[in-house]
Amino acid sequence: MVEGAELVPMLGMGIAAVMARRGADMTHLAALLGISAMPVARALKAGSGEIIIGTGPEMWLVISPDAAPDWGESLAERLAGVASVSDQSGGYALYSLRGAKARQLLQKGAFIDLHPDAFGRGSAATTVIAHAGVILWQTEEEAPAFELALFRSFQASLEHWFTVALAAMAAAD
Amino acid sequence: MQRYSIFSLARRALSGHRHWKPTWRDAAPRSSYDIIIVGGGGHGLATAYYLAKVHGITNIAVVEKGWIGGGNAGRNTTIIRSNYGLDGNAPFYELSMKLWEGMEQDLNYNTMVSQRGVLNLYHSDAQRDAFVRRGNAMRLHGIDAELLDREEVRAMAPFLNFDNARFPIQGGLLQRRGGTARHDAVVWGYARAASDRGVDIIQNCEVTGFVRDARGRITGVETTRGTILAPKVGLAVAGHSSHVAAMAGLRLPIESHVLQAFVSEALKPVIPGVITFGAGHFYVSQSDKGGLVFGGDIDGYNSYAARGNLPVVQDVCEGGMAIMPMIGRARLLRSWGGVVDMSMDGSPIIDHSPIDGLYLNAGWCYGGFKATPGSGWCFAHLLATDQMHEAASAYRLDRFASGRVIDEKGQGAQPNLH
Amino acid sequence: MRIPCPYCGPRDTHEFVCRGETDTNRPDNDEAFYDYVYLRDNPIGSVREHWYHAQGCRNWLTVTRDSQTHEISEAVLAKDAAR
Ligand SMILES: Cc1cc2nc3c(=O)[nH]c(=O)nc-3n(C[C@H](O)[C@H](O)[C@H](O)COP(=O)(O)OP(=O)(O)OC[C@H]3O[C@@H](n4cnc5c(N)ncnc54)[C@H](O)[C@@H]3O)c2cc1C
Ligand SMILES: [Zn+2]
Repeated sequence: MVEGAELVPMLGMGIAAVMARRGADMTHLAALLGISAMPVARALKAGSGEIIIGTGPEMWLVISPDAAPDWGESLAERLAGVASVSDQSGGYALYSLRGAKARQLLQKGAFIDLHPDAFGRGSAATTVIAHAGVILWQTEEEAPAFELALFRSFQASLEHWFTVALAAMAAAD
Repeated sequence: MQRYSIFSLARRALSGHRHWKPTWRDAAPRSSYDIIIVGGGGHGLATAYYLAKVHGITNIAVVEKGWIGGGNAGRNTTIIRSNYGLDGNAPFYELSMKLWEGMEQDLNYNTMVSQRGVLNLYHSDAQRDAFVRRGNAMRLHGIDAELLDREEVRAMAPFLNFDNARFPIQGGLLQRRGGTARHDAVVWGYARAASDRGVDIIQNCEVTGFVRDARGRITGVETTRGTILAPKVGLAVAGHSSHVAAMAGLRLPIESHVLQAFVSEALKPVIPGVITFGAGHFYVSQSDKGGLVFGGDIDGYNSYAARGNLPVVQDVCEGGMAIMPMIGRARLLRSWGGVVDMSMDGSPIIDHSPIDGLYLNAGWCYGGFKATPGSGWCFAHLLATDQMHEAASAYRLDRFASGRVIDEKGQGAQPNLH
Repeated sequence: MRIPCPYCGPRDTHEFVCRGETDTNRPDNDEAFYDYVYLRDNPIGSVREHWYHAQGCRNWLTVTRDSQTHEISEAVLAKDAAR
């Protein structure tokens, strides 16, 4: 495990925003995604490897590793009539943030309670880091490891924040 | 009234400053007056003074719920200027600026008016064009305006961050006659001059309702110190305008918002005048005591708390760091908030109310300190003559209904964006 | 001031945009339009306002707040409040 923290871009992922249609049956939607219930402000991994993150009331971000170019379209077909799908694969950038100090570092950026009691495995939040909107979730792995999504045009800002925050943390140690 | 001069100062100094008299008379309310002004801030006291001096009406009470100058008059960042672009505003703020220029002699009081210049920075071609237009509009109204290029700004303020890639400083619009004045001295100066002409200044006297006659006309006020009658009542309660107007059943085109201000520890002179950031909301000057006095946006939600929240503190500090990184080395000494009367177009109202006997002076937003003398002058004119003063003729209450709004920022009826 | 978003939990105000008093309904005649666009109650004490959780769940909330103490007594999704 990394001593401090590292921010690693995750490439080649399919990303889609999913919104339930009015009056949709949530159990049915969950079944179509291969999970038992739709997550609310939480992140869940389906058997297919897809990650489903609750970002707002009846709104989710769905992420697929190794996505084929037509993944978004096929997801839309899969959820047709139950939810609307818009492919965001080119719109969002994804990062994995890991290391012994990952949580401490994140706390310098996000204004939310990241204590393990409040934000643990499977927790998700849509919030702000360094003026950029981020969707943040803690993966289900053992060590505290986080993943986050943000609009691609804010990548440079996020990476700048990470470098500066890490240096400040190192200097304080 | 004891006149102040270098000789009176020397005399008192030699006698250990023991014989100064109170500068103004703390009056108890009488049962009736010709005019009652509600609110003992700068505007209320200036109104009383000009009513007495210009219009010869001296049977006046200024009723103040706390102590005079305890509201925005004593909480602002003291910037005075007349660099407005719209026809409705320019003549009024220039009248006010001229009154500032003669104030100390007129009041025989050192209000520390300091015309050290107000410099608005621009950071893009489009912003420069907008400033050229504003500068030209000002000059057409006889107001001084100079467009500076980047090197001229650098000569004036070499400490600014000229290498900022995101918000490059391209130049600035300078009003040399703008500057600062000592806010509480303005309150005390007007109080002293008004009191000297017979005006009753009544503190700890909160207006809690209105007295009305059978025809619904306002004939006085109910206060925590009893009923006080007068055929004319003028409101100059700034952030509490809606609250007091509601006692007469009026709804106003106003929201009350909190604006914060900040002062650093005292430094040697570094900032020559007032400087404002054009790519964010940040303004700074240096007080004569050496503190950097600065501020930025209102918090953005209705508030009567006179106390703001941290996001705006951060926003203001980030604005400061963006244009003058050296401010990061100064420690913040104090910060506070005031309740400002944000109007729906960002401009004030000096007008009759729809109710006979009740007159309005409100909607000063975060910019009414500079207006203090002009507002007093024009409100006194309205109260004395029942006519709007020419320079304030656009500040009608019905302009919202008739579409004649005076919206310098072009934001529409969204007070938290003005 | 932290707003307890019904979806996101308590969040700092910098994630929100305040849109002001809620009790205004778009009128269908011109006279009432002036009131609707320009006039406000602006009371001291309890206010019901719309806040947009722009940097969170991107939903409109109806928030009940005290304009003098800033205490927030309730925050619900505006679409639920409207029901
Ligand atoms: C932080 C801050 C910074 C500012 N910076 C600037 C600046 O740099 N330049 C500028 O031009 N303007 C600035 N302003 C705006 C300016 O201070 C105000 O617009 C102006 O002071 C308002 O007029 P006033 O002095 O009469 O108000 P106030 O001093 O607020 O006077 C109103 C008075 O009415 C009293 N009152 C209220 N209700 C009642 C009642 N029921 N009965 C009796 N009395 C009552 C209050 O106690 C108060 O004393 C700033 C304001 C703030 C808050
Ligand atoms: Zn939310």
